[in-house]
Formats: sequence, C-alpha cells, structure tokens
Amino acid sequence: MFLALKEIKHEKLRYSLIIAMIVLISYLIFILTSLALGLARENTNAIESWNIQRIALSQDANVSLSQSLLTKQQVPAKLSGHEAYIGQVPVVAKASGEPKTSAQFIGLQSQQFIAKNMQLAAGHKPTTNQEVVVDTSFKNAGYHLGQKIRLSSTSQQFKIVGFINNAKINIAPIVYGTLTAWRSLKNVGPNLVASAIVSQTSHFSQKNDDLKYYSTKQFINKLPGYSAQNSTFAFMIGFLMIISLIVIAVFLYILTVQKLQNYAVLRAQGIPAKTLVGATISQAMILVISGLIIGTALTALTALAMPANVPMTFDLPILGAVALGLVVTGIIGALFPTRMILRVDPVSVIGG
Amino acid sequence: MSAIKLTNINKFFGHKASRVHVLRDINFTAEAGELSLVIGPSGSGKSTFLTIAGGLQTPNSGQVELDQQPLYALTAKQRDNLRLNKIGFILQAYNLLPYLTVREQFSLAERVKKQGNLTSSALETLLEQLGIAEFQHQYPAELSGGQKQRVAIARALYTNPEIVLADEPTAALDSERVKEVGQLLADLAKSQHKAIVVVTHDLRLRDYADQVYEILDGKISKTA
Repeated sequence: MFLALKEIKHEKLRYSLIIAMIVLISYLIFILTSLALGLARENTNAIESWNIQRIALSQDANVSLSQSLLTKQQVPAKLSGHEAYIGQVPVVAKASGEPKTSAQFIGLQSQQFIAKNMQLAAGHKPTTNQEVVVDTSFKNAGYHLGQKIRLSSTSQQFKIVGFINNAKINIAPIVYGTLTAWRSLKNVGPNLVASAIVSQTSHFSQKNDDLKYYSTKQFINKLPGYSAQNSTFAFMIGFLMIISLIVIAVFLYILTVQKLQNYAVLRAQGIPAKTLVGATISQAMILVISGLIIGTALTALTALAMPANVPMTFDLPILGAVALGLVVTGIIGALFPTRMILRVDPVSVIGG
Repeated sequence: MSAIKLTNINKFFGHKASRVHVLRDINFTAEAGELSLVIGPSGSGKSTFLTIAGGLQTPNSGQVELDQQPLYALTAKQRDNLRLNKIGFILQAYNLLPYLTVREQFSLAERVKKQGNLTSSALETLLEQLGIAEFQHQYPAELSGGQKQRVAIARALYTNPEIVLADEPTAALDSERVKEVGQLLADLAKSQHKAIVVVTHDLRLRDYADQVYEILDGKISKTA
C-alpha cells in the first residue's frame, strides 16, 4: 500500500487518467444497470405488485396475456380467495388537451384479491364500469382526478377516480377498470370471462386441458421483448466489465514493465516478491475504488437530474453488487502483471 | 572467520557449441573488516561472480558460504531473507524508485526488515558522509547521476548488512567523489566490521582496498 500510494501521489497525471477511464466505465455500467433495471421493472411492476405465484392462460395463447381468452366453460365455477380474473387489452388513452398515451387496460373484479389489495396513491377504487384507476405517469403527463378519458376508439368515456404508483406492464402504464369494461373494450361477448386467472398460490391448477399454467417467472420471461431486452443489457454490461478488466490489466502491465528494473533491484536487495505483488494489487484497488467512488457520485447526480419519465431504477444493493464486480475485475486485472513481478530476475540489473 | 567464501565455483552459460565457461574454479574469501576489490575488463565474469556471491545466481559447481552457511542449500525464500538481513547491494544501475524521495527510499526496507536497520541519527550521519543529507526530500529525478549513486550506496547500507557487494559503485562519480566513496567504503569496513566486495573497472579504488583480485577470462587471482 505504501508504494502504491506514493507512486499514485507522485504520478498524479498518469494515475488520474487511469482513474478517469475507470470513472467513465463504472459510470456507464451504473447507468446501463439502472436503465436495465428500470426497464425490467416497468415490464413487471404491476405483476410484482399483484404478488402472484401462478397464472393460467388459454392453451394456445403461447404464454401471451394479450392472446389469451378464457370462456365460462374453461374456468372453474367459483374461484377461491387466492385467485383472481384479469382481462387485458392494449388501449390508447386520450383526453381533450392531454397527450395520447398508450396503455394497457386491466379489468378486475372488485371482490377479488388484486382489486382488494390495490394501494392507491390518490383517489378511490372504481365503483362503476365507467371508472378507472390509472398509473401515476398519467398524473405526471397532466391528467387529473375526475378527468374523463376515452380509451381506444370507443365512444365510451371513463372517469379517472384514482392514481396508483408503479402500475406498469410491458413498459406501458396500466388503466385499471372492471371486467365488464374490459369486455366492452375488447369487444367480446359475455361468454368470455377474462384473459387469465392469477393465483397467489404456487400449486393452483384445475383439471382442464384448455388452460395452461405458468409460474410468475415463466410468465414474466415470456413477456414480449422482456428476455431479449434483458439479455441485451446483460451483454452490454458484461462486455463493459471485460473492457474494464482489459483496461486495468493493460495499464498495470505497461506500468509494471516500466518498473521492472526497479523491482529487480528491490528483489536483489531481498525485498520479497509478495511485497511488490501486494503493491501492484493495492494500486489496482486504489485506482478501481477511487474510480468507483467518483463514478457513484456521478451516477447519484444523474439520478437526481434524471426526469421521472426515464425508466431508470437506482437500486443500491444491485449497484453495490456491480461495484463489487468491478473491484473483483480490478483484482483479476492486477493479477496479469504480477506474473511478471514474480519472474523478475535480479541478475538482470547487475553488470552490463 | 570469512564472511563470504567461494570454493571451486564454476559457471557456464549456453549449451553445447555455444557453451561459455564464465567462471573457472573460483576460490575467494572476503573477511569482515576488509574492503576487497575485484577488478577486470568487461566480459571477464566480474558481474557473474558478484551475483553468485550474493545468492542471486546458482553456480554449476562449487560452494558459496556466508557466515559458514552454504548459501545454495537454502531455499529461494531463505536466500531472499538472507540478502535482506545480511547483504547490501550497490548496483551500477542505481534504480532508485522515482516516486520516493531520498529519505523514503529507505522506508521500503524498513517496512520489510523491522529491526537492525540504521538508527535515524546513524542514517543522518551516513547521508552527511555521502554528501546527500541536503537532498533528503528530493526525488531521484532532481538529483545528478553521482548523487543518485550515493543514495543507492546509502540504501544498501541502511539495513546495516554484514556484507556489502558493490557493482561498479563509482561508475558515475567524479574523481573527488570516487575518493570519498572509496574512503567511505574502507572506513565502513574497518569501523563497522563489514566485509565489502567491490567489482569494478575503476582502478582509482585500489588505494582503499585491503585485498585486490583480478578476474581474467573467468579465472581469479590475487594481485599485489
């Protein structure tokens, strides 16, 4: 640590540049992670708020909620208190003077657990088929309680009676209403009950070949674009980690090559190789941790400055794990030049 | 009792047709309290002699004893430890750490070898003797070649070694400094009872040596 600190202090410009590289990489990784997390959560926020374990869709829906339709004949005569119907239909919400908003209408039955457990940020739950509760992003876009909105091209008007936080599915805000309203928007007859049955229990199933059951995880992974989007971000973050490893390894390698003569003298004097290896690893640690601290500060400033409609989630435990990953990357990067240190030949500096 | 003793040392480099016999049946002893000078032209094997004497390079045959302890019977780690505690190296390429001040050059050894180093006052005296006390807070880049070499000498002596092995220690010094360094090494040998072995081209150091050896074509002989 002594050698590492002294060298960094003496070679301020050189090490500042390395730290600057690490700052940029860590900042980019933090922002991408937050963006990935934000987008992932916008896909699943609502599903997670329902706190469900299992979902039943029609057999041929290919795990797609929007393709699933359940008839009266396919569903059980009576659901337990742990199950609920949901009807889903994509809509475009519009109101005079407000921007059009693409949304997902979710029809619920007021006596079932999803509607009962709904925690509103403002207003009350729908009491009629013409009332809806909408995601707070509507509020941020200028909509207000009591405002009448039209959904898709129907002439029917709905009144916003409540706002709810984090009600998003597939990155679209949710408009919660009744199953009757859903039938109307979906333009289906009374024989169709819902799009799906969701359950709070992991063992929910019925003897019915027309239904197929999925765990929440399976269902989320099959949300349109969800896996592809997550894989893309995972690859980007992974590649950035590899790039940071290469940057650290290359810089330390070049710096170590320049110091080999000095190290050879120190080895001749009997300074153990582990002291010199320790200095290199400490140096990598100092560089990475300094870069991470500045990168974290920049990320925090970005989080403060970021508009609410940007889908970013700054989750401290996850960002902490990413930072830890970068520290480990730094250690691995520092291990490459240590091989040279271990092999340095003190004889090389004697004579000539 | 010899501080360092080389018996029948042979060293070869290369293989088969390209094999070179660098040291031939070298027998050498250095006593505590003496300054021994090993002179010889370039390529005579002086540096190889020094590296073998310092436990840095294994001979093909023969034995090196430090304080009657066979050096090459020790593990590499034990030899590291022995060098740190008993041998001081003064090298032609002084290789001071550029990011440490003169004073800090001693800190690394101090961190590894916790005891037996020069006291602050003894180090101060040494730095004054070497004429570098005033440069203590300067970095090597701010020193001349001669000043750097004197710092390297001080660094070798800081751990208070019993044996000092020097490779061309006066290569970068002017005549005046050569006299001072020669006198200093001779004084250190006498006053602190150290065995000092210097390999050099510099015949100006002959005046300060107790023993003078010459290496020629890998063979060593004592000169008058």
